[in-house]
Amino acid sequence: MNSPSREKEWDLHERMLSKDSTVSVDIVLTFMEPLVQALERNPGCSHEHAYDSVIDALFIYFRHPDRYDERRASLGTYLAQIARRKAQDRHRSAVASARRNKEFGSIVELLPAPPNMSVETQVEVKLLVEKIERAGLSERDLACLRLIVMESRSTNMMAEVLGLTHLPQAEMRRAVKRHYDRLMKMLKRLCEEDPDDES
Amino acid sequence: MTSPEWLKRVAERSRSQPGMLGHVFGMYQSLEDRSNEQLAVDLACSPETLNLLALCIRPEGEAFLDQVKDICRRFEVKPSALVTVLRRVEVMEALEEDSSNESGMRTLQIAARDRSRNREPKP
Repeated sequence: MNSPSREKEWDLHERMLSKDSTVSVDIVLTFMEPLVQALERNPGCSHEHAYDSVIDALFIYFRHPDRYDERRASLGTYLAQIARRKAQDRHRSAVASARRNKEFGSIVELLPAPPNMSVETQVEVKLLVEKIERAGLSERDLACLRLIVMESRSTNMMAEVLGLTHLPQAEMRRAVKRHYDRLMKMLKRLCEEDPDDES
Repeated sequence: MTSPEWLKRVAERSRSQPGMLGHVFGMYQSLEDRSNEQLAVDLACSPETLNLLALCIRPEGEAFLDQVKDICRRFEVKPSALVTVLRRVEVMEALEEDSSNESGMRTLQIAARDRSRNREPKP
């Protein structure tokens, strides 16, 4: 897909400033694919990160269209700059997340085992941690498990790591419970797995 | 026009953007316990059109009616249906702003759900 002409960009920006409610749809449809394609050419930028970063850039522009100065750059260039910064943030975050995943087991190991926990149970916990590390869980799920392990399981803290704080309180509580139940079910399944089954 | 694969993703993300119609839809669905499909039925549009509607800037202020008309003209939605959704959410937001009025919020949610149940056809 080709980038839009300068005239089309001016028209879109003018409509944005005049509070045309449907121009945002045209802007998304016009810029999404060219910006994603451009972003994906950067090393280390995945397809998923490219889409999310372009979406970030578009919503930032929708919130503050007046921050764009058409004398300094085309709208496409302006959006691409924001998207690139967002993609870099995502990449840094992904690298940090991978590092934290490796550290998940060490968090559990650092916690002192309860005095009444048998050696057998301690071995089982260690095996479970290894299974969790191999299960390929998302960063959000691992962050929730960290909270559970650290016994910091307040609804607000869980909502924060799950990215649900924008929801109304009642819906947030329901969504957190859904995630918690799903994680508990997943942990139960991991516990029940045959330790010799490597499939 | 066929829907691009990423459209649903942008529509989902619009739910966390207060200036977007998608945010209004998210709040309305939460308040009225409506799924995407049910909201599309309420607005008499397809799920694909619902995703496009979510990307519109939320109508507000003096231009509210003109903005609603523009959206409805373009996406062939009944203005009365869209205004119903927008107004319901505005009322909820007004109550939420009054943070001391927590019981009022719960009353509104209960009332809205009761109203939804009453609206369902009786067997």
